[in-house]
Amino acid sequence: MDFKNLPPVKEQIMKCVRCGKCRSVCPVFAELRYESAAPRGHVFMVQMLRDGVVKPSEEVSKRLTHCLMCENCSANCPSGIDIHELNAAARSYIEQKNPSIGKELLFDTLWTKPSLLNLSTSLMWGAQKAGLQKLARYTGLTKLLPGSLPQAEKILEAVPLRNARSMIPEINPARGEREYKIGYFLGCATDLLYPDIALAAIEVLTNNGCEVIVPRHSKCCGLPHIANGKLETAQSLAIHNCQIYNAYDFDYIITDCGSCSSALSAKNMHFLLGQTEHAQAGEIFAAKVMDLSKFLIDVLDISFPVNHNAKPITVTYHDPCHLANAQKIKDQPRELLRRIPGVKLAEMSDTNYCCGGSGTYSITHYQTSMKILDKKMAMIKLTGAETVATCCPSCTMQLNYGIRKHNMKCSVVHPIQLAREASKKKAVHSA
Amino acid sequence: MEGASVRKDLLSLLGKEKVLTEELDLMYYSYDSSFLTQLKPETPWAVVLPASTADVQAVMKYAYDHQINVVPRGAGTGETGGSVALNGGIVLDLSNFNEIVEIDQKNMQVIVRPGVIHAELNKRLAEYNLFFPPDPGSSQMCTVGGMVANNASGLRAVKYGCTEQYVLGLEIVLPNGDLIYAGGIKARTLKNVSGLNLTKLMVGSEGVLGVITQIRLRCWPKPKARGIVMAVFDSLDDAPATVLEIYQAGIMPSGMEILDSSAISAVNMYKPEINLPDAEAILLFEVDGNPPSVDYEGNVIQEVAGRRARTVEWSTEPKRMAQLWEGRSVTATAAARVRADGTRVFAGEDISVPLSKVADTLRAIRKLADKYGIKVVNYGHIGDGNVHTAPVINTSIPEEVEQVKKLVHEIHLLAIELNGSTTGEHGVGAVRRPYAEMEHGLAVEYMKKVKQAFDDKGIMNPNKLF
Repeated sequence: MDFKNLPPVKEQIMKCVRCGKCRSVCPVFAELRYESAAPRGHVFMVQMLRDGVVKPSEEVSKRLTHCLMCENCSANCPSGIDIHELNAAARSYIEQKNPSIGKELLFDTLWTKPSLLNLSTSLMWGAQKAGLQKLARYTGLTKLLPGSLPQAEKILEAVPLRNARSMIPEINPARGEREYKIGYFLGCATDLLYPDIALAAIEVLTNNGCEVIVPRHSKCCGLPHIANGKLETAQSLAIHNCQIYNAYDFDYIITDCGSCSSALSAKNMHFLLGQTEHAQAGEIFAAKVMDLSKFLIDVLDISFPVNHNAKPITVTYHDPCHLANAQKIKDQPRELLRRIPGVKLAEMSDTNYCCGGSGTYSITHYQTSMKILDKKMAMIKLTGAETVATCCPSCTMQLNYGIRKHNMKCSVVHPIQLAREASKKKAVHSA
Repeated sequence: MEGASVRKDLLSLLGKEKVLTEELDLMYYSYDSSFLTQLKPETPWAVVLPASTADVQAVMKYAYDHQINVVPRGAGTGETGGSVALNGGIVLDLSNFNEIVEIDQKNMQVIVRPGVIHAELNKRLAEYNLFFPPDPGSSQMCTVGGMVANNASGLRAVKYGCTEQYVLGLEIVLPNGDLIYAGGIKARTLKNVSGLNLTKLMVGSEGVLGVITQIRLRCWPKPKARGIVMAVFDSLDDAPATVLEIYQAGIMPSGMEILDSSAISAVNMYKPEINLPDAEAILLFEVDGNPPSVDYEGNVIQEVAGRRARTVEWSTEPKRMAQLWEGRSVTATAAARVRADGTRVFAGEDISVPLSKVADTLRAIRKLADKYGIKVVNYGHIGDGNVHTAPVINTSIPEEVEQVKKLVHEIHLLAIELNGSTTGEHGVGAVRRPYAEMEHGLAVEYMKKVKQAFDDKGIMNPNKLF
């Protein structure tokens, strides 16, 4: 991809007046406090790269990758600049000029082939007792993740033996009359780490008039690649996924993961494919993509049977950045929770303050990530909630770690898992 | 002295946690929000992130002994190049020195370090039903130290005035490292006429006299109610005339804002859902206080504005108020929308003119903009004659950059010609310095003597202000 001619680089840099609004909403800047960690600083540095004032070096990359891509800056930029896209474009440009073997192995090979990714997760399951550190050393990951591995290892939870893909059939017929034909986009983290979220989603969807197809050959949404300077790989993943899903006549393409739905959104498809011959395929595909909670509320208008005996449960909802900032989806997950009998929603003070997880960030930038997480956990603690709900597996992993780190007694769920429980009650009730 | 040896010395003085020395890291401190530094960013020799008054003293003593320029900086949101080391030297980034030291509720004051963010301060004060009234548009980003250094104000200055009215005392590190207290060493008073008023001298001194390391601010009780009137005018002249009539009716609104036709169309292009009526001018009035007085003042404004306005709308309903106020709050951003490939530049954006000349000023600016072929959007705080002009250009076209420089120069001359000032609230910095003598005459020589008394080696933020 031609860095200097990418639309954000070409059209948006000049719109930055350095007002600093982005600086005031950036969770990373709040911790690091120097301008090279501020979004405004990133825009400046991308400009310097574009103008050839600085060379595309690893030193520049080190500063740009302070950013965890939460998009809070872009969501708040008065000039409408997609700061995260500028940053991603620059990372990719630098990576092209300074390719790293570790990243090629991880993002170009492992993370483009679901079978390989699954295989390595299975290996991890076996190796977990020996510790991630040894595995990472073995696979060469240590070169990619300097310094923080011993701590970062703790973030990873016990990997389940079976992934979602191996437990869910490709075709899941609607129970009763079919109203919608759904393509289910199974994200990597849900598939490999939290398969129960996908199982719950399929159960609730099929119980509510949806035929759910889980295409066997879909691949990663590409977000990890965008964040790690692998734009061209993200592009080829997008082209592949468009081909797979566009071959069906889906009414909607649904995903439970906020990061996936943002990576598959019209905006991001335009960023990746807008200047290619695949632009139209990207538009057709993205037009059908919808977050699971939005679909359940806005399209299905899901309801649960009145259950006066429902166990009262206090839930606080954490807004995943890629759902709240990138897609402005904040109401539907809450509405879904409110409709579940027994749920009492207790909002935390800063619901869409990042948890610091952001995919690989918690591993590559462990110290910063933990400072952000500690703030989030303090907010959660104040609510007194026994359950934290969120719509992103990366947030789930990070929040679960936060709970262990702070010795808290609560659990993290996807709202769909609570919805499934409420639906089960429905089945018992009607029986 | 060379930059390299300064960096080495500062590192041994304060340690690497508080000193940035790598060329790349320093580049990030080469700009603020001014057009000047967009065109020509200037990298400092070193950046220091002090965490205490002692750190600041150490830096100043070192800089004084070695005659090195020092430029204090807050969040870098200024629009004048004031916080950029345009002539080399050390940038003191005070935004991390940001503690709220004490909220002295009993004495209606608060003591803060310079780096505290304005909005965060008011959030904390709200817990005590207090507030620090000046409210710059950059409230979420700017530091209180920067506000004091620039004597900042904002949308509610018409009623509540500028920062200077709230500064009761200051802790200041002088260029030679000495520590002094303006407003009394131990004082916690609200009134104090003892001694020469160094507090007032420091406020708005833009870092040319010393470094502010602690600020004692007066707080006010937070108003309980608020209401907004929007009045739509077919004639530009009717807007300032209405402002005067409202004053004459004995009303002091907390905000009086104007959008001219250029701003109205910019807002509508940016957010069509706001859907402002097409007009020569729109005035927005805000009143605040206790509920009965807000109702009373709102009614008077409706009646007075209704004499000249095409339509008048009054609301105390929060959602509607937010919609009405949004038209004004998005204008600065919306300006760029009047041109697809355009960028709003911060230059010539802050003149202040007598109330009686606001309409003439707006007309004259439009004429000048036509002369230089530059699109501009005009808006501002009409209640105190502070006109914001937003030129919108394509910054990659050199001819446009040259034309806008000429336009901006003429806008500044216009302000002086109309008995106004080149800046109402954003400050002088480097960009309005050339007009100092024109505005102040012989007084500039005395300003220089004052600086000499504080800064005999001329190291504090040189070549700014005058």
